[in-house]
Amino acid sequence: MVDLSFNATVFMQMFHFLLMLVVLRMFAYRPLMNVIEQRQVYIADEIEAAERQKASAAGLRGQLEADLAKAREEGKVIVIRATKASEEQAQAIMEQARTEAQRLKEEALAEIGREREKAIAQLRDEVASLAVLVAAKVVKDALTIDAQHNLVQNAVKEVGQLQ
Amino acid sequence: MAADYAGQGEKSVLEKMHHELNVFGISKHWDFGEFLGFPIQLNGETIFHTWVAMAVTLLIAWVAVRGIDMRRPGKMQVCFEMLFDFLRGLINQSMDPKRGAGLFSIVVTFFLFIAVMNVMGVVPTYVKPTADIQTTFALALVTVSLIYIWGIKYKGARYFKHYVSPYPIFLPITIMEDIVKPVTLAFRLFGNMKGKEIMILSLLALVSGTSWMAGGFLAGTLWLLFCIFISLIQAFVFTMLTIAFVSSAVSEEH
Repeated sequence: MVDLSFNATVFMQMFHFLLMLVVLRMFAYRPLMNVIEQRQVYIADEIEAAERQKASAAGLRGQLEADLAKAREEGKVIVIRATKASEEQAQAIMEQARTEAQRLKEEALAEIGREREKAIAQLRDEVASLAVLVAAKVVKDALTIDAQHNLVQNAVKEVGQLQ
Repeated sequence: MAADYAGQGEKSVLEKMHHELNVFGISKHWDFGEFLGFPIQLNGETIFHTWVAMAVTLLIAWVAVRGIDMRRPGKMQVCFEMLFDFLRGLINQSMDPKRGAGLFSIVVTFFLFIAVMNVMGVVPTYVKPTADIQTTFALALVTVSLIYIWGIKYKGARYFKHYVSPYPIFLPITIMEDIVKPVTLAFRLFGNMKGKEIMILSLLALVSGTSWMAGGFLAGTLWLLFCIFISLIQAFVFTMLTIAFVSSAVSEEH
């Protein structure tokens, strides 16, 4: 039943196998292997690029962190300085206001003094005039001009001492 | 039909089935006259079905290579790449990758071609070329050639030293080994595939009449499923042994 005889088929089959080998190698294996190789190269490149980027990113991150810390430090300094400056300024403004107020007060006091002097002088003159008028009415013609004047002067002096 | 032949023994039933399944009417032998006094005769069925298998193999390869893409491989391309990876792994495990590089495409072709020829056997009208001893022997002869080519290529005349090492008394045994290697390779594949074919035909013969209830159809279906498994295993075994033989020929520790 099982045929074990040999004829030319065995050579034909060898030829068929070699034909398949050549054809498949040319049209299937080569492009497939090329694609696999391309992919390997691509993946290796990508990994390398990713590693490079990672390293550079880490460097960049470190630098940025340092920059940030520096900026934070600077900010702190600036804030401190600004606070100090503002405090100083406030102090100066207060000082200025205080001196200004003092000055105004002094000026006002001086003014009051002056006005008072002026009023007293005016009052003195008024009193003198009134006294003269009163005296003139009282002693009418009894006194000379000089006597009158002396009297007035004395009255004025007395008024002056009254104050 | 099984009933008609029931009394005539197993052989007749199988031959009848075989004959009925030969729907394309391929003659058993093709004669091409004589060449230098030797008759040129080919097994028609084997040759014809080898062509079919070659066409199918090329079709599969075409599907894999068509629309080939590095970033988005197709399904068949992925299958091929997995097969490539697997076989390259086997080669690199058993020998120096530099020496195995040239073997790669041969090994892939072995696996692919044998697997296609074997698996196509589950189509009932298809006569497996691998169920013909001449096909398996031809493939085994290729393997033997590879053993010699690789052995001489990488070791030169030193390759022949292994016949007489460690003692010249081993010469008959080592010569025997060289003969046994292709014969076992050829008969292992042939026996498995022939047995598979006989089982398929027998189970198909059982389908007719009332005997299908006895399990002809169910058993036949299950057997066909199992056949796919056996087919791939045998293709793998052949490939694996080819790699093992060649690697032992090129290895230094003889």
